[in-house]
Amino acid sequence: MKKKNERYEIRIAGFGGQGVVTIGRILGIAFSVHEGVNSVNTQSYGPESRGGACRSEVVVSSGVIHYPYVREADLFVALSQLALDQYGASLQPDGTLLVDADSVETFPEGFRGDLFMIPTMAIAGEVGNIKFQNSVALGALYWIIQDKISEESIKKALAESVPRATLEGNYAAFEQGKLFLQKNTANKE
Amino acid sequence: MDFMHKENLIQAGVHYLQGSQACAEGALTAGCSVYAGYPITPATEVMEHAAWRFPQVGARLIQMEDEIASASVLLGASLAGAKAVTATSSPGFSLMQEVISYAIMAEIPFVIVDVQRPGPGQGYITASQEDVMQARWGHHGEGSAIALAPSSVQEMFDFTIEAFNLAETWRTPVLLMTEETVAHMRERFTVPPRESLRILERKKPQDLGIAPQDYLPWGHDTVSPLAAWGEGYAFNCVGLVHLEDGNVTKYGTEMHHHCIKRIKDKIDGHVEDIARLETFFLDDCEHLVICYGSVFRTAIEAVREAREAAGLKIGLVRMVTLWPFAEKKLRQCIGKTGTVFVPEMNMGMMLHPITEALRDCCDRIIPIPELGKLHTPELILSTLYKELQ
Amino acid sequence: MKKHPMLKYLKEQGPQGDRLPLIMCPGCGSGQVLNFIFMAIDHLINEQGYQKDNFVFISGVGCHARLTSHYLNFDSGWTIHGRTLPIATGALLANPELHPVVITGDGDTGAIGGNHFIHACRRNLDLTIVCLNNKLYGMTGGQSSPTTLNGETTSTNPYGNFEADFDLCELAKTAGATYVARWTTAHPTKSVKAILKGLENRGTSFIEILSQCPTHFKQSPSQMIREYKEKTVRLEKMQEDDAGKIPIGEFQDMRKPDWSSSYRKIVQSVQNKTIQD
Repeated sequence: MKKKNERYEIRIAGFGGQGVVTIGRILGIAFSVHEGVNSVNTQSYGPESRGGACRSEVVVSSGVIHYPYVREADLFVALSQLALDQYGASLQPDGTLLVDADSVETFPEGFRGDLFMIPTMAIAGEVGNIKFQNSVALGALYWIIQDKISEESIKKALAESVPRATLEGNYAAFEQGKLFLQKNTANKE
Repeated sequence: MDFMHKENLIQAGVHYLQGSQACAEGALTAGCSVYAGYPITPATEVMEHAAWRFPQVGARLIQMEDEIASASVLLGASLAGAKAVTATSSPGFSLMQEVISYAIMAEIPFVIVDVQRPGPGQGYITASQEDVMQARWGHHGEGSAIALAPSSVQEMFDFTIEAFNLAETWRTPVLLMTEETVAHMRERFTVPPRESLRILERKKPQDLGIAPQDYLPWGHDTVSPLAAWGEGYAFNCVGLVHLEDGNVTKYGTEMHHHCIKRIKDKIDGHVEDIARLETFFLDDCEHLVICYGSVFRTAIEAVREAREAAGLKIGLVRMVTLWPFAEKKLRQCIGKTGTVFVPEMNMGMMLHPITEALRDCCDRIIPIPELGKLHTPELILSTLYKELQ
Repeated sequence: MKKHPMLKYLKEQGPQGDRLPLIMCPGCGSGQVLNFIFMAIDHLINEQGYQKDNFVFISGVGCHARLTSHYLNFDSGWTIHGRTLPIATGALLANPELHPVVITGDGDTGAIGGNHFIHACRRNLDLTIVCLNNKLYGMTGGQSSPTTLNGETTSTNPYGNFEADFDLCELAKTAGATYVARWTTAHPTKSVKAILKGLENRGTSFIEILSQCPTHFKQSPSQMIREYKEKTVRLEKMQEDDAGKIPIGEFQDMRKPDWSSSYRKIVQSVQNKTIQD
């Protein structure tokens, strides 16, 4: 939170179909509609979005957000190695990196910030459907930014963004993602 | 045209939508009851949202066979009394020019949203401002268009309403020139309570007590009242050079001059009423950035940073209205200045009217072009530092 | 002098002076067709209670288009070449009570507006298309059109037209128009009846009327009208040895829901589904 206007930049990247765009939209709604702060949500578009890697971004600020894209990500969520390779350069050297533990093996050169690893796909499978992978990631992401947003706001936004029949599963996945980070970080400490 | 289900219009309060969606909601809120369109990236989201929402409020939406047809539907709908809108992107915008030309001549209001993209039809679908000259000069014949350039999701909503207000006030097509950047971003925006919205309607001859036999479709005032088909005025709309009553048989060059001059003066003679600028940091500025559309978002960030980090005395002018070009306002607000920077998502298009306007009140004008994506603050900053330090 | 009974549907005068005469050449079929349309509308207004104010004439560019110029005592739009049908579509969307009468020609419908024509028929919008087919471009001086016959010489086919001609009625029928008929200026009663049926049909009606252009074909009007009798054959009476003759009559006469009534159903069905991203 070192930038002016309290600007906080989140970038999420992965393969198309992993729910990267949905995570971004849920975060945007959570921050702006339920938390009452400004946020801009954008996603990869055009030639950039071809070839597998998919990106979405959320810029959050208590002030006015002019430039809508990430300049230097405070938090980068990578759900695939390709996504990390393609977009990882935007991460601040001392930023926060959250990666899918089963997909990512090599990290950006010079990175010295906080690293969190979580097997999102495996946890989603345990919850009941690998399609819940993005909610697992969202739970973990929430745990990292919990000083900026309430769980209630994210859960409300999640409920507004997924089909009603899948809400229970998405909530469970969110919970497991959050708990995994909580548990593993505690162990590390 | 009254909606059957007004209660389903977007509610007042905070929303989080894409710019394209806010645009479609703005159109409905403005009282637009007809949408006609043809899918084209990156403008399709406007139509997709409209396709879902227009039937809910009882407004009509039709997917046409091409963009010429889409714009033609707007013409027919407006002649029958409705507010009408379409959204397209650059290649489609080119196809619509035929109808825009007719609508300027016959003075028929409607709104076209152009989510600009670079180059010809097969090409790229990324952010672009390469249609800003097409907006002004793309149609055949004389007559000026009105074009607005929004820079946020809030403005996609607000300016769509304003575009309808301008169209109805000046009886002319209005173009909302936007980019992928704003059309696809999601952002918090507020819908004001209905009673506080400013929504204007066209003048009609029956409201002014003008009888059908005395009706001059092109003559009662600077902007003549417009009769709707189906209301008993036997209104013969013509696109030929016409007398004020629509008579086309008495053609002569004098009549030709009179007809075209009237239509041209209607807009060009009221630039001060129509065109808007926004200014920032002008009090102490020695240099200036002039921009429009979503580039404003980068420019203000860069200008602020240049002032704070490097102490550069640099001001910012944002053109809300691209056309008619606010030359007088621009000259008035800047006085004498040093270097003027013009960042655009093209190789330098508005650079030309800006250069013309500031011919004797600045030292030099430097374009900052970017293609295919929004300028980064770093791109603008590096140019400012290079030229001014 | 007794005035023509249909003259009430023309504006002889406007606030700024004379609006007549029409600009058509002597012997042109356009005036006859306008008279047919007026007679059909007159019947609907007087016998069936149709509102005069709800009729709107829309034309594009061509000789036929001049029929909806500034002398019509109806709402009208003299508009863009080929775009008449989308413009009529817009009018209908704005006000479904309107009865658009689209006056068009073989070039306007078959060439520049061909795609709009197909799709208007497909949508079954409630509009009536009257196509004056003179088999060439009259306004621009007698060039080939999509209905110019094979072998015909025109200013753009000085060595004879070697392309096939369009059958606009078959096209309309295939595309989905619900009333389709072809007559000629030599069949005034049939033409009026067909236009009347077209206007009554709640859907897309296409009435093609072969209309003589004595100027560019360099023939006498009476000769051309006589040929319309000799060279046509009733669709239902066509024999094998009638090849080369022009079929006339009703090509289609069926009912199916028009665009507006289908759309109204959609509007009803989506109520209470409000905004949600």
